[in-house]
Amino acid sequence: MNVKYISTLVLLTFFYGCSSQVKIDNPNIPKLLITQAPFSVAIKYPDNFNNFLHEEKVIGKKSWQVDFSNSNRLLFNEIFQSFFEQVSVLENSEDNIYENFNFTIMPSIDAIEFSVPEQSQDETFSVWIRYRVKIFDFTGMEIINWPISAYGKTSTTTFSDDKDLANAAILAMRDAAALIVLQLEKTNKLSPSTQQVKIK
Amino acid sequence: MKNTPISKEKTLYQYKLIALFTILTLSLSSCVTARIEDNRIGSTGLEEGEGVVILAKSYHLGNDTETDFIKCVSSSISKGASRIRVVPTNKFKDLLFPWFEPRTVPSDTKSLTTLMARKQVSDIFRNQNLRYIIWLDGNTDSSGGGGSMSCAVGPNGGGCFGFAWWQNDSNYEATIWDVQDIKNEGNISAEFSGTSFMPAIVIPIPLFARTQAKACKGLSDQLKIFIAG
Repeated sequence: MNVKYISTLVLLTFFYGCSSQVKIDNPNIPKLLITQAPFSVAIKYPDNFNNFLHEEKVIGKKSWQVDFSNSNRLLFNEIFQSFFEQVSVLENSEDNIYENFNFTIMPSIDAIEFSVPEQSQDETFSVWIRYRVKIFDFTGMEIINWPISAYGKTSTTTFSDDKDLANAAILAMRDAAALIVLQLEKTNKLSPSTQQVKIK
Repeated sequence: MKNTPISKEKTLYQYKLIALFTILTLSLSSCVTARIEDNRIGSTGLEEGEGVVILAKSYHLGNDTETDFIKCVSSSISKGASRIRVVPTNKFKDLLFPWFEPRTVPSDTKSLTTLMARKQVSDIFRNQNLRYIIWLDGNTDSSGGGGSMSCAVGPNGGGCFGFAWWQNDSNYEATIWDVQDIKNEGNISAEFSGTSFMPAIVIPIPLFARTQAKACKGLSDQLKIFIAG
């Protein structure tokens, strides 16, 4: 009995030492301090935004699993609700989704990478997230296709590896918000003259 | 075996010895050499109720200032005789999101002027009664170690034998911007270095050169003097 108990404990310790899981429930993205644009937009999220999981094995070391759950959805909701006057999230695929809104936005994730202190040889965790933001006008024509390369970095704290990696990922998400706002403010493709649909 | 009063006394004595040894070990630290310089450009001062915020320069510019160090300086200058009101860094960043993120943070006073032209941004500065932004740059490094130490454990106990040392260098710079006039008022640089030792005869005794903690204290004290004018 004792032998079984000890071997289970040893095995559990072994597996715990080989992988680490980080969960980001809510990145707590604050309201953006910007002037709202007078448009009605729809956001269409890919299915994986409800439960996004990223797994990476550090060569020769343990593997890391980052569970973003629905935090990317919360991030984009906050960005676009701060930037546009009217925002609707489309839950089901529908035909003719474009014609009821000034713009329809489709964000997605192209790639995620991270580095841990064992790789970077310094006391930092870094996270790179490459989002893609596509914006369609009311006819369904793609007017914007931006790659958004976001970066977050945190220094290590004692016994908090998982939390440090999660914080670096949250910083990358905040960086994405900053980049998207800069791009949205700069573009001339979202001018009222190009639109025929008015806010209902 | 039943505990007799003598064995109880003996155990208590052993606990006291361990506690004394732990306190002694923690309180021991090796020497640190320090240099603090300030370079004043303009005149400073704080009106009643005015406050400051402490931020790290962007890591996009290659800065690696530790979060703990920013917390330490914020905490130190908000305590003591000539304490200064400090707006918490995270609260400030959230209020002004996304304008003080590493990518968007103003890198010079000209960029701050552009940012302050946004009414929502200048309103937050006014509502928070913020007078100065203190930018921190720099970090603490460990380098140039040497020595050797070996430890062993046997059926009758264990122990270590050897000697190891390493160098700790803390180099930080604080730059002070006046938000009211939007100008750089000057900067303070702090260089603290020391060598940490760890001799071991059965038990390793760490003698840390606490350069970061001392740099935090030194820089905070100098910041209080600088801002007071």
